[in-house]
Amino acid sequence: MNNKTIHKIPLDQRDSKRTFTVVAAIFAMLIFSVVYLKISFIDMFMGLPSFVMFFFEKFFPPNAENLKQYIPSVVDTLGYAVISTYISTIIAFIFGILISENTNKFKTLRVITRGFVSILRNIPFIIWGALLVYIFGIGGIVGVLALILVTIGFLSKSYAESIDEISGDKLEALRANGSSYFQILFHGVIPQFVPAWINWTLFAFEINVRASAVLGLVGAGGIGVLIDTNINLFKYEEAFSIIAVIVMIILLTELVTNSIRKRFV
Amino acid sequence: MKPLLTIKNLVKVYGKDTRALNGISLDFYPGEFIVVIGPSGAGKSTFIRCINRLVDPSEGAIIFDGQHMEKLSWRKLRKERSKIGMIFQHYNLVGRTNVIKNVLHGQLSNVPLYKSLLGLYRYEDKKEAVELLKKVGLQDQIYKRADELSGGQMQRVGICRAILQRPKLLLADEPIASLDPLSANIVMQQLHTISQEKKLTCIVNLHQVDYAKKYATRIIGIKKGAVVFDGAPSRLTDAMIRDIYEGKESQLKLKGESGMQLAVGQNDE
Ligand SMILES: Nc1ncnc2c1ncn2[C@@H]1O[C@H](COP(=O)(O)OP(=O)(O)OP(=O)(O)O)[C@@H](O)[C@H]1O
Ligand SMILES: [Mg+2]
Repeated sequence: MNNKTIHKIPLDQRDSKRTFTVVAAIFAMLIFSVVYLKISFIDMFMGLPSFVMFFFEKFFPPNAENLKQYIPSVVDTLGYAVISTYISTIIAFIFGILISENTNKFKTLRVITRGFVSILRNIPFIIWGALLVYIFGIGGIVGVLALILVTIGFLSKSYAESIDEISGDKLEALRANGSSYFQILFHGVIPQFVPAWINWTLFAFEINVRASAVLGLVGAGGIGVLIDTNINLFKYEEAFSIIAVIVMIILLTELVTNSIRKRFV
Repeated sequence: MKPLLTIKNLVKVYGKDTRALNGISLDFYPGEFIVVIGPSGAGKSTFIRCINRLVDPSEGAIIFDGQHMEKLSWRKLRKERSKIGMIFQHYNLVGRTNVIKNVLHGQLSNVPLYKSLLGLYRYEDKKEAVELLKKVGLQDQIYKRADELSGGQMQRVGICRAILQRPKLLLADEPIASLDPLSANIVMQQLHTISQEKKLTCIVNLHQVDYAKKYATRIIGIKKGAVVFDGAPSRLTDAMIRDIYEGKESQLKLKGESGMQLAVGQNDE
């Protein structure tokens, strides 16, 4: 063997040109967006002090006088999240079974369900909220409905993927001994699906707590309504303490869901 | 004697032109312990799965207990399947369910859904499940989750599940292929003892020719989707074995004591 020829040993087979093109393209996108939207980083930077000033002048000190009056809204918000997660998990479970190839052999039905679920999922919940407010008028039912629709979309897909992952082997044994479809479902699929089910549902609950705090901004009930009204009334100190309450709720929710996860999964 | 299972001109074609079974005709009689041997890809799994229609045959007839399996509607097929127990290479237990419930799955076809959900299996079934588990030495693992067991233990649960069906026919597709030699020995021994006790007809796919010779009352050799040997173990000569595994000698799994291993091993590569 000639020693000179092994002087250079490339570690990659790909040519570096491609990497360069990709990086350049990503950078070009950023430049385009900034130029097209006429965003000035200088303005942004210069605005920072006045933003901080505004924040400290108007929002501080947080006004915690009315803290007790928020309680109903906090309960509302959590209630929306609980109800919507509850209802969604049931409906999404049925859709998940209809979407997964493991549990539904009818291709057309699978495709139709998948399409429907994908529409639910891909319309952002704030747009569902705005749409539904238009139909039902302002109120709590709108918030719950919006959350349910999006959560069904999200959970159905996640459930279906987890059901797909259950190996066909285990179900084959039940198929081979003459068990019925629903027996295979309840004795084979569901026991194996439980950990994934708990995980996804808790995750959906976390998302829903966040989302239901925001829903008030489009008039769909919950604690978000309070932020909206207080800011509109220039009561910034009060708005600030409401925001603090929301952050607390979200952190608490995560604490609770994480401990449930540790215990059950 | 009337055969329990008759197979006539069985053909299975996967896709367009993978002929896994090439016209197999066989009769199986009550009480036989049949071992099917053959190199990898010969069609052993396809053959055994066609019997209970986990694989749908392309041509031919499968007459089990007087019923044409290949013609049965879904409902009737379920009923016939409940008379055929099956044991799998990868055990196929429901991992998060405990041992005794896995065994009771063998009775699902005889219990309505709501009863099985509430655990209302018949007392005799529960009693037999416990007795079977005792017999295979798992009396201390009854309430353990199936995925906490060792491979050998899982396969013994698999055997109990199949036996609890009170089947007329027992199919096993390489029941010991994933086990270490010690567990393999125990599992094979128990499978044989139990099926002898219950006077079951067994069809077992195996790679291990020495096990086949030890337990079988009849050995069937399959090669390229066709039967190339069918007879008593004593008639299976070394030359015959070499012929069945021709070109695939490295797959022959024999113990050193038979003296075959060296002779055959040298043909490898
Ligand atoms: N689902 C399938 N789709 C297409 N071809 C298949 C399928 N299952 C098996 N085959 C093909 O059919 C032939 C027989 O396969 P089979 O699994 O029955 O062999 P085998 O004797 O059980 O082999 P092994 O000892 O490796 O388990 C092989 O050529 C295989 O590639
Ligand atoms: Mg096989």
